[in-house]
This record gives sequence, structure tokens and C-alpha cells, in this order.
Amino acid sequence: MIALPIVEDGKGGKKLWRSLPQLRQDPEFADVVRDEVMPADSPPSRRHFLQVMGASMALAGLTACRRPVERIMPFARQPEELIPGIPLHYATAMPFRGAVLPLLVKSSDGRPTKIEGNPEHPSATGSTNVFAQASLLELYDPDRSRTLLHQGERTSWDAVVELSQRLGGSTRRLAVLARPSSSPTAAALRSRLAERFEDLQWITYRSEGDDAAASGHQSAFGRSLRALYDFSRARVIVSLDADFLGPTARNFGPATQSFARGRKLASSDASMSRLYVAESAFSVTGAMADHRRRMRSADVGALAYEIARRLGAATGSGSGLSDDPFLDAVVADLVNAGSGGVILAGESQPAQVHALCAAINAALGSVGSAVRLLDTDEDPEPPQGAALRDLANAMRAGEVDAALILGVNPAYDAPPDLDFAGALAEVPETIHVGLHHDETARLATWHIPAAHYLEAWSDGRSWDGTLSVVQPLIAPLYADARSDIEVLALLATGAPQSAYDLVRDTFRPVLSGAFEDAWRRILHDGYAEDTAFPEVVPEAPVPAGPPGFTSVNGIEVVLRLDPTVLDGSYANNAWCQELPDPVTKIVWDNVAVMSPATAEALGVEARYSKGRYYVDVIRLTRGERSVELPVWIVPGHADDSITVTMGYGRSIGSDRPERVTPFWDTADKTDIYGHGALANGVGQSVTPLRDASLTAIATDVSIAVTGRTYRIITTQDHGVLDIEARPLLRLGTLEQYRANPAFALEAEAPTPGSDEKTNFQDYPMLWEDRHPARDAAMRDSSYYRNQWGMVIDLNACTGCGTCILACQAENNVQVVGKTEVGNGRELHWLRLDRYFVSEEGTELPKNPQMVLQPVPCQHCENAPCEAVCPVAATVHSPDGTNQMIYNRCIGTRYCANNCPYKVRRFNYFNWSKTIPETVQMAQNPNVTVRSRGVMEKCSFCVQRIRGAQRRAELEDRALVRGEVLTACQQSCPAEAITFGDLNDAGSDVSRLREDPRAYTMLAELNVKPRVSYLARVSNPKPDAELS
Amino acid sequence: MPQIFARKVNVLPHLSLIAVLLSGIVSVAFVWYYFSPEYTDVGYAPEQPVPYSHRVHVDQLGMDCRYCHSAVEAADVANIPSTETCMNCHTIVRPQSVALMPVRESFSSGESIPWVKVHSLPDYVQFSHAAHLDAGVGCETCHGRVDQMDIVRLEEPLSMGWCLECHREPELYLRPTDEVTTMGYVHSGDFIERNLERIASEAIQPPTNCSACHY
Repeated sequence: MIALPIVEDGKGGKKLWRSLPQLRQDPEFADVVRDEVMPADSPPSRRHFLQVMGASMALAGLTACRRPVERIMPFARQPEELIPGIPLHYATAMPFRGAVLPLLVKSSDGRPTKIEGNPEHPSATGSTNVFAQASLLELYDPDRSRTLLHQGERTSWDAVVELSQRLGGSTRRLAVLARPSSSPTAAALRSRLAERFEDLQWITYRSEGDDAAASGHQSAFGRSLRALYDFSRARVIVSLDADFLGPTARNFGPATQSFARGRKLASSDASMSRLYVAESAFSVTGAMADHRRRMRSADVGALAYEIARRLGAATGSGSGLSDDPFLDAVVADLVNAGSGGVILAGESQPAQVHALCAAINAALGSVGSAVRLLDTDEDPEPPQGAALRDLANAMRAGEVDAALILGVNPAYDAPPDLDFAGALAEVPETIHVGLHHDETARLATWHIPAAHYLEAWSDGRSWDGTLSVVQPLIAPLYADARSDIEVLALLATGAPQSAYDLVRDTFRPVLSGAFEDAWRRILHDGYAEDTAFPEVVPEAPVPAGPPGFTSVNGIEVVLRLDPTVLDGSYANNAWCQELPDPVTKIVWDNVAVMSPATAEALGVEARYSKGRYYVDVIRLTRGERSVELPVWIVPGHADDSITVTMGYGRSIGSDRPERVTPFWDTADKTDIYGHGALANGVGQSVTPLRDASLTAIATDVSIAVTGRTYRIITTQDHGVLDIEARPLLRLGTLEQYRANPAFALEAEAPTPGSDEKTNFQDYPMLWEDRHPARDAAMRDSSYYRNQWGMVIDLNACTGCGTCILACQAENNVQVVGKTEVGNGRELHWLRLDRYFVSEEGTELPKNPQMVLQPVPCQHCENAPCEAVCPVAATVHSPDGTNQMIYNRCIGTRYCANNCPYKVRRFNYFNWSKTIPETVQMAQNPNVTVRSRGVMEKCSFCVQRIRGAQRRAELEDRALVRGEVLTACQQSCPAEAITFGDLNDAGSDVSRLREDPRAYTMLAELNVKPRVSYLARVSNPKPDAELS
Repeated sequence: MPQIFARKVNVLPHLSLIAVLLSGIVSVAFVWYYFSPEYTDVGYAPEQPVPYSHRVHVDQLGMDCRYCHSAVEAADVANIPSTETCMNCHTIVRPQSVALMPVRESFSSGESIPWVKVHSLPDYVQFSHAAHLDAGVGCETCHGRVDQMDIVRLEEPLSMGWCLECHREPELYLRPTDEVTTMGYVHSGDFIERNLERIASEAIQPPTNCSACHY
């Protein structure tokens, strides 16, 4: 083994570490890193061994005996334009948190198989978010509710029609609890419903709490305005507990894109924005911060007020925050930036903080440039806490005859004080519409399975207000499924209506010219032009006095939407459950996140033993209710603050039968779908911590240690190369970059045998003349013309995780389940390494920086994996990529052992065998579904390359620049990933590879990776000494 | 002590040694041939739900392959025609035929005719009909004389070695692109030279690297 020197520079004199055991150089951590594999729980038992052997013998004998008869099922009548084998793309949109995300969805022979952003939509960037990617699997969720139920018995749509007629005749008092929707068709149906039911109570139920941003702007400007931030035009951005780059953000795509554009450095004289973040929990936004102040979410309001006061946007004598260097720096920079200054508050913050931020932006003059205010012309929503309480009281008093619950799950996440379940039981007719037979469905007298957005017609407005069409790609998988619009239309009119006609009616007044032509245009484009909310530049609000925040000492608990399962809507989605949390990297669980100091004060810890984390469980009690949650310690979290996420501890009914297998079949041991709905039993519900106002911050929670410990599965240490982090991720400051644009190359190891440093890109190969790429057969191949490469800009990447799911969807990457992730066997082709950055030393820093780095296969030109494969199953392709040939692989795993980057993934079990039939429909037909015993890894989306090459060949032309996009690149909202042909000197990838910031990981191995990284540059305030 | 075994028994060890060697050779040969697609797959001619005869349609009626397999020049898969394609003619031709019952049933019910797949590649192979037709690989080259078949039969092993025969020496197999659907095509005497010319001028480079087809 060659001992390579560990170079310390290039990290800005900083130390990078993934976890506390790595920081303190735990010997057990060193053992795991050295062995490169997780120690086994226990060796396989004799019984299990015999089972496996018996199974393989039996199968070996059986498989040879039959020829599988495959059927070809052509259409009886061929639909126009549908050619078997050629996918079609449709513009549609996904309802997400009260707006729609514009999408372009691929349909392979009638099955939706991949979701991309709609690049032509004015509000979109062509990118997606985690949830849009995962919504594909949501469509095929095997636990989706399939049948109409009345009192738990199967019923028919006719019975529902009859119910609607009955209700229309006698009932006056209807209550509707609906998820936030931007659909004009639904809004029109709402007014028709109000005509039919005189006493209609409609409550838009947001499980995460009130829309404080909307009410904040309402109170600041006196009208319903929505802020649209263009961070590319901002010079200074201040986030007050706002995770605007986080996956749950409502305007995630455009916000991330514009932020990344403001941070990208084309040359050393380019400028970049500066980001200040004050937050309690470490978020991906905090990871991008140049200055991050950790503070309790409850204290953020005081900071906002003080900033506003100093900038003249608020009056009063000030708070106690007078000598705070962070505050001084923020204020000085905002004043400097003027109209280039933006401040925004997060969803955890009350409306007053949002109003203060709006006033500050108006005072700075950034309204109209970096902050665009759009007039949504919506009626302000009353606080839903009071509305829900009134509704629950009315229900209990027998004043509600019927209740319709549209796509929300109050039995799971409504404040427990309301006893919503009890109130619902007093209503004679309750109708639940939802994708799952969930907690609320069980209480309702009627349950209507909801149609997925890819199955039904609808419409909606994107975040900027552009009217977009939600176009189905497939008929409902279950005949009983109905969409929100269909159910509303039935209740509003008493007769079933076609959602298609209703949606067309909505578009009719908007479109000019011949309707059918214009409608076809809408279906093609996905949106109606010039329908965005009008932009307004209102008068700056009159400075108001102190909002009167009361500071409560003690530990606060902050409830947030989960970055992977949202409010629980995605809890039954295997991709979401297995997607590591961007910060904690925890999978299949929720935890109580706190800082090391808080953990110490509470007397809890996360013990590390043999690569596993055993954490203490605490009991959080609010009022009479309590939740027991495992703790998790994140350096940089605010002290006296605990962050918990919603969406876990679900209980979903599933009528899918449990898989019954013969005794020799061990596949059910690893079958994540084998034991009922997969959300059940994962994590704990934090609903007991909610109070009736649904605010995010709770300061009256008492905490007790239970004495129990719990094993948490996190991928934060997966793929660590060394106990001392090598300079895999290189970072510097803008000053350093300006002084030496190629600062990242300082970390390069010296040339072997000398002290000189060299550019390893030009260093000769080990077996120059015998290298596969020099082979005549390679040069003669038509693929040789294109040499593929990738550049990842660490200055743009926010670490949101969308690329991981995009890759999973594109490349048929299977889900392995919690236990196997714990054994280090997850299959994600792309991992997002999260590092903490601190000064040298092993003591735990209070406020480290956090940085993230996506690591796909590096496609080494001198790939070490290729040299050790005994069967040449991983080989070099003429186009310079390293390819895995599944059918040749015999599973020795030598390649994974020899991979310096640890990016190879092995199918220890047959995960694809046990996936349910509906999930099989989600698989990409152009990528092999791997079986047990096969290695796999990132292929640079070779199926997309080959597909494009084939198309170009048929059309007798060369590949067009930018024709091939990898799945990760296409999904990336930050445009951090550039992929292309290195032989094309004018391509972006060739240009960026020559960027002075470009470096390759472990260049000193001379493996010549085809993936380069652009070093990360932060932009701290030059004169500020901030912690 | 008397001899238990006669002297001539001494030959047995030698014989058994030879037998072991022979059986080794035989079993290798056995597996080599009988486990190969050459034996296991070639000749596969399952009964189809409709006794459709390519001989009648192609040989006797002179229909072009692309009348039914219409997407073959555009898509990876050569589509099996929809029932509607059959009924284009069969509403007039033999509308009462008993053999055509399943076709008429499919047309009226909208359900597919469950044809049995004959030419089946493993799932880990990505193959494009369009690319091959574009280069001038005739239907006949891989599918044999379909015009002589009453029941479609697998003529070639479709094994990787068989694919590579052509990918390595395409000049021995290619034909002019306007002759790809011709059945019983006879190569001209100088076809190899002509093919080599075409290969050079059109830059036909059949890939032989793994990731051309396996991904």
C-alpha cells in the first residue's frame, strides 16, 4: 500500500471533518475507515447459511428448466404519435405547498418514468426539487388507497353521487378542510359550493402552520403581496431563520438558481453576494452562509427588530442587542448594499418578523429589483388555529352536517388540544379524499381514493402566479380514484363533472384567439402566457414601534417541515425515506437535533461504537402530552434550542397482502415493501408538541431523559477515506481567490520523488502506451469523438439532494431499507458528503462552517477498478468513461475495494426482485434493473449519451452541444453540475475544467478523474471578526 | 495369499482414467453445445394466439415488412402491429375467418392480442432496430427468411458472439439500405468492396465496446 502524504493546505488552514468521532479521532472510527466496510451485526447463523445455500441450489436447478414465455401486447388501436419504444414528454405541473411546480414528464410506453422541470415555464428553471422527483414513486406507491369505502366497506361512485344529492337537498352546513391550492378551477368550485351550501366553512389547512410571509406582507403593506426574491441581483442577503435554499422552500427552484448565479465566479474580478444567516438549526442555507449566527428561533424576532430600527424601518428605543458584532456587520453591509440588500424571514417566524423584513427591504430600496412584490389579490386567511378551534367546537355542538377533508390529514397533524378526531366523530357524514387510507381516512365515514396529479386534470398557479395546467399522463391506476376537482364538482353540483371540461373552462377566458388552437398550445407549453401576478412597488410602510417580542428563557423546541418527507405526505415514499437528511444525513428516522452544549446540559449523548451511533432518547412534554425522540447532536446548532421535524410516526392502512415466500427464499428479509405500508413504525410523530395556534416555536416544553438508547442510521461517515480528511473539498475566501485564483491547487501533493508541485492533469499515465484509451479498437470507435467530463461547482451546490433522487429515478437505483443502510449498503450512485469546517485541533468548535460536496463516480482515465476486475466487467469506454457491465459482473467486489473514492455500490441482496408491480412501472426501460451480486455505480447516464448518439446518427448529424444532460445535471436547481464533451473546446465543461479553481480529488493518485470540482469560495466581510 | 484381482484387472485404473478424461471432454462439449443459444434458442417457434402466416402475407401477397412493423426505422423496437393494422384489410378480406376470431375480438374489445415474443434479448442488452436498418443490416440477416415461415421461428442464436461477428466484419453482412427489407436478397459479386467503400464514406463503425449495448 502506498502511503500518501496528507496535505493540509488548500482548506484555508482549516480542518474538515464529517462527524464528532472523526473530529476526536476515535480509534473505533479509524478501524471502520481502515476496513472500509461496516462491521457485521453478527455473523450469519448456521440456519441462515443453510437457508441461503439451499435457496441458491434450488434456484440454480430451477431456473435452467424453463423458458420464460414473454408476451408482447400491442395496442388494439394505436394512439396517434405513440411509437413503442420512443418516450413522449408532456408539460404538466405538480401542486406543492399552495403553488404548482412546472414540470416536463417523460412517458415511456404510457408509464410516467421521469420527472424534469419545464425549462420553458417563466417561473421555472428546468430544474426540480426532491419532492417533484419523488412524486413519481408516489404515483406508483403500492400502499395507495385503491377503493372507495363507506363505513369501512367497499362502495361505488354511484353511492357517492347519491350522497352528494342527498347532501345538496337537506344539508346547509358543510365544512371543508382543504390543502392549500392555487387552482382557479378549485376556487371557482368553492364559490359554487358556497351557493349550494349556505353555511359553508372552508378552511385551508396548512399542517406547517399559518402562512406568516403572506400575513407579514399583508400587515406591512396593507394588501396581499407575495415576495419573489431574485438573489442574483442582491449583494447582501440576510436570512433570519429562513431556509430559502432548503428542499421544502416553496419557491425553491428560482430561489436556488438566482442565489447560485449570484455566487458563481466566472473570473477573479467577478463579484459575489454575501450571505448572512441567523438560525437555530443548521440548514443547507446556513451551510452556504458567509457569516452564520446560531441563535434560538425565538430570539430572531429581536434581531429583526434591531436591524429594522437601525435602518430606520422601525421606531423605538432598541433592544438589548446593542453590542453584537454580527448585527453591526449585517447593518453596515445592508446600508452599503442599499438596493442590493435583501432580508427575509423563515417559516418558523411570526408574521411580525416577516413584516419587519418587508419594511427593511422597502427602506433599503431593494423592492422592485432584488425583491419583486407580486399582488396575489387573495383574501387574507384568518389564523387557522382559531378557525380550526371554532370548527372543532361547531362539530362537537352538532352544528356541522357534513365535512369534506381534501388531501389533508388532521387526525395525524392537527393540534391535539382540539381533539379533532373526537369532533369529527360528531359529524354525520365525513368524506375524506386522500392518496392513502390514513389516520383521517379511518375516522371518516366515506373515503375516496385521491387521484395522483399525474392521473387527473387540474390547474394551478406557479409561485409567480403563472397559470399552469396540470395534465395527466396516465389514467388513474385505480378505477375508484378521483381528483380534488372531481369531488368538489360533484358536491357543488350534485352530478359528476369532467375535470377536463372544468379546467378548459378556466382557461377559456384567459386565452385569446381560437380556443382549440390556444388550448393545444397550453397543453404543449404547460402554461398560459402573461398570467403572472402583477408586480407592484408599494409605498414603504410607516416605521412601526417595537413588536413586543417577549423573550422566554429556557429551551425552545422548533417544529419544521422535514427536508425529505415534508409534513408526512412523502412518508410512504421509499426514495424520500432513504434520502439522507441534507444536514444530519439520517435516514428512515426523525430525531431531536440539538447543539453539543445543550446535549451536555441535558446529560444526553450519541455514543459511537463500531461504526454505529447509539443515542439517548429524550421525552419532550408539552402540557399533558409527550413525545419520545432520539437525540442528535449537530455542531453549530443553537444552544437551548431543539429542532424536530414533522412527518414521521405515520399509520397508513394498506390492503396489500404480506409477501409469503417458501422457507428457502430469504428475499423477504430484505424486502422493504414486505411488511405493510413502509411509513408505519418509522420515527415518531411530533404532533403532541403542537399547540392550538400551530406556531413552529414552543418554549414551554419540558425535557426528560428516558434512559433508553436507540440506534440511529446515518450516512455521514459513509465513504470517509481517512481519519484525517484529505483535501477532497477545497475552499478559500474571496480575498484568497483574488490573490491567487488557483488557490485550490496549492493543496496538490508534490510530485513523487521531488518537492515540486505539478499539475497532475499533464502527468504521464502509468502505462501510457498500454492504456485502454490508446487501443486501436478504441480510437476506431465512433464514440471516441466525444470525451465526456463533468465539472461540479462547489460554490453553487447547496446540497439540497435533488440530484440524488433524480439519479435514483433515472437509473433504477433500488431502495435497501434502514437496516441495510446501517450496514453501509445503500445504493445511491451519488452521495452528498457533508463536512464541518473548523480551526485545527480536536476540540469541538461551537460554530463550525458546513460544506457539502456531491461525489459521483469520478470516471478516472486510469481507473483503478478496471485493473483489478478478474472478468473485465468494469471497463473503459471509448468515450472516456468507466462503465460497469452488469452481465459480466460476478461480484468479487475487488473494484469497490480498489476505488479510491468509494463510489461503487454492490447489490448484496436481490432488491429488485421484491419490488411490487406498481413500483416496477417506475423503472426506466433504458437502464438494466440490477440483480443480486452485481456491482453498480454512476454511469454518467450512459443511456442518455447512447440515446442522443443514436438519434444524431439517424438524423445524419453530429451531436449538438448540450444535447446530453445527465439526470443530476438536469435536476440541479443551482446549475452546479456541468457535463459535456471535453473534445469540444467551446463547451462549458471544457472551459470550466480550465478554470483556475478547478481541481480533481486525489489528483496525486494520477488516476486522472473526469470529474473536476470548482473550489468553494466564501465571501466573508473583510474587516469583521465574527463567530 | 491368493490374488483377489486377476492381472488383467490392472487395466482398469488406466481405463477409468481415460473414462474420466473422456467424460470431462464430453461434458464440456455437451455444455458447450447444448447450453448455448445455438441449441437452446434457435428453432424456438411457439404457437401464437393467431395463426398468422408471414409466408402468406409477405411471400404470396408481397407486403413489405414496414407495413406492419411501421416504427422499425424510427424506434429501438420493431413494433408488433396494432389490431387495427390487421383490420385495415381484414374487415374486407376473410371477415368470417375462424382463425381471425381473436383479432376481431381484440378489435371490438380493445384488449391486446397476447403475441408470444420469439426474438427475446436479455434485459441487459440495449438494441436498436432503427440504428441497424440505418446502417444497412437487412431484416433477413438476423431474422432469416421470414417470408418462408408459417410460424415465426428463431433462426439465429442472438448471442453476443453472433452479434460481434457482424460488428467486427460488417462488410460481410451489410446491404444497400433500400434492400433492407428484401427477402432472399442475393449479394452482388463485388459486394464486399462496395460495402467497404460505403463503410468508409458513411463512417459506419459498429461499436465493439461493452457499453455500446450493455448499460
